[in-house]
Parts: sequence; structure tokens; C-alpha cells
Amino acid sequence: MWRNDQTGAKEFALGKESWAAAVCAALDCSGFAADVDEELVTDDERSCYNCRYRRWSASSFTCQASRS
Amino acid sequence: MKILLSIDDTDNLESRGTGEIASLIAAALQEQGWGSASFVTRHQLLVHPDIPYTSHNSAMCFVAEIEEGDLDQITAFAKDFLNHECAEGSDPGLCVAVLDRLASADDLIAFGQRAKLEVITMQEAFDLAGRLGVHLSAHGGTGQGVIGALAGAGLRLWGNDGRMKGCLEFSEPGSRLRVADLLDHPGVEAVRCVAGGVVRADDLVQVGEKPKTVLLDGVSVLLLSAVQGGGDGEAGCRANWQTLHRKQLRGY
Repeated sequence: MWRNDQTGAKEFALGKESWAAAVCAALDCSGFAADVDEELVTDDERSCYNCRYRRWSASSFTCQASRS
Repeated sequence: MKILLSIDDTDNLESRGTGEIASLIAAALQEQGWGSASFVTRHQLLVHPDIPYTSHNSAMCFVAEIEEGDLDQITAFAKDFLNHECAEGSDPGLCVAVLDRLASADDLIAFGQRAKLEVITMQEAFDLAGRLGVHLSAHGGTGQGVIGALAGAGLRLWGNDGRMKGCLEFSEPGSRLRVADLLDHPGVEAVRCVAGGVVRADDLVQVGEKPKTVLLDGVSVLLLSAVQGGGDGEAGCRANWQTLHRKQLRGY
């Protein structure tokens, strides 16, 4: 589900449309924190896609939780 | 006179969002008696490795109707607010554009559209702001937020980009309302089907959680999708339509 991008950052390997996988990943993550309302992109509240520590990229996002 | 006030890059991973900062400035503008502010809109800009955004690269903008004599005070207030309230490590930018003094609305709109597709330099943003007669200022860090701030103003002026910050509140959340009732909400200027279908004033709409409008053709539009099979409820009370889910609003 995860891989390292060119900078070594932890990148979600399943892109921007893997809604169920993003929920599963967030359920497994102790660092999850919901972003502000205007940046939420799914009604599944606990999803990596809604996490304030995700940084969107062109094809997916990287996880910044370990850097927070 | 009418102004656009747009900000970008005011936050970090832990701070309050840029949208909240925009809302606080809009509220202060009204509390000070300087004028009336519209809803805040969020505008998605290009996501690219060469752009140093925090997590999503979006700008926030609102329109305000003000007295001409209050313009300098409003601009000074917003600058001071950003200087004091923006998060450590952020690169805030502020744009204040007076609509009837804009040298070229088309150029400002084109800049906003470019910022969704291309990497743009700060110098380009300052050069354009100077030519257009628009206030553009940096408030800490690298000041990179000036690019998004100017772009946010252009996209709001375009009127075909962005979704509202926050959500519409109706007296009965989760209920079915007529299209005509939805249009009574001050934040809703039009109700349309996302697929282009015809929506009638008496049609029933299942209102989902936290419905939001988007900007289309310069107005605040509540988009609907058809309910397959007419939805729940007895015949005659079934909803024809439903408001969009967050996933469906992502592209706005």
C-alpha cells in the first residue's frame, strides 16, 4: 500500500481513487488527524484522503505524519 | 465598491487552515462596519513538486462590498492580521483587488487559470499585480503565497472554479426539501443537476450531510444528482434528487 517516492517520502501506492484502501490505512494509523473541513474529500471521515498529514501529489499523496 | 480579498499559504501541518483565516478577516470587516462580505471559496491550484505548499495548495477568497474610504483600512487590517496570525513556516500572501479599478479582468482571470496548470514565479505575480493595479503583499517566510493569493482572486472573478468553505445549514438537516425551498437559502443562487437534467421548483431533494455550493457562471450553485428509483419514502414524498457527496465535489 505504501512505497517511497523519489525524495524518500512515504507515498500511498494506490493513487487518489482507492477510497476503501485509504479508509483501511487510516484505521491502522495512530497518527491520523482529520484536516479542516474545507479540505475533506470523502464522507468517510477517517480516511488517509482526509488526513491533515497527507500531502497531495500529482498522482497520489505522501504521508507527513511521521514528521509532525 | 466591490473588492476581492484572497489569501494563500497561511498554515502549517498543525495550525488552523487558510479558510479559517479568510473567514476571520471577512467577519472582522463586517464587525468594524467596513462593509459586507460574501461566503469564502476554496480554489485548488497546481499540485507540483516545484511548488512548496503545505498539503493541498489551495487559495481562499471572498468578495466584499465596501465604502471606498474604508479600502486602505481593510487592506491594512488584513496585512496586520496575516503578520500576526499566520503559522510558523508558512509563506503567506494577500491580494486585494478593487473590481472597478482592475486594468484587465481578463488578465487576472487568465493568471488564475494558469496557476491551476503551470508553475508560476513570484516575480510574475508581482509584475501582473502592478500592471493591474491590484494590492499584492507577502507576509513572512518566502512570500510564495502571493502567487496563490493573486490566482485565487482571478479564479473567484472567473466564477467557474471553487467550492464554498463550510456548508449550507437548513432548518431540518437530513430532510427532503423542495428545490424552491433550497433557493430560499441566502447562500444558494441556483440549483442545478450535475448531469444537466432539468430541475423543477417543486422537485424534492434529499439533503445530505454538509451540502456545499460551487461557483459556476459566477453564481453559487447547489448541484444535485438524480436519485435512482425515486429514493425512500411513500409515493408523492420521494426525492427526485440528492445533494452531492464530498467525493463528487472534489473536482470543484
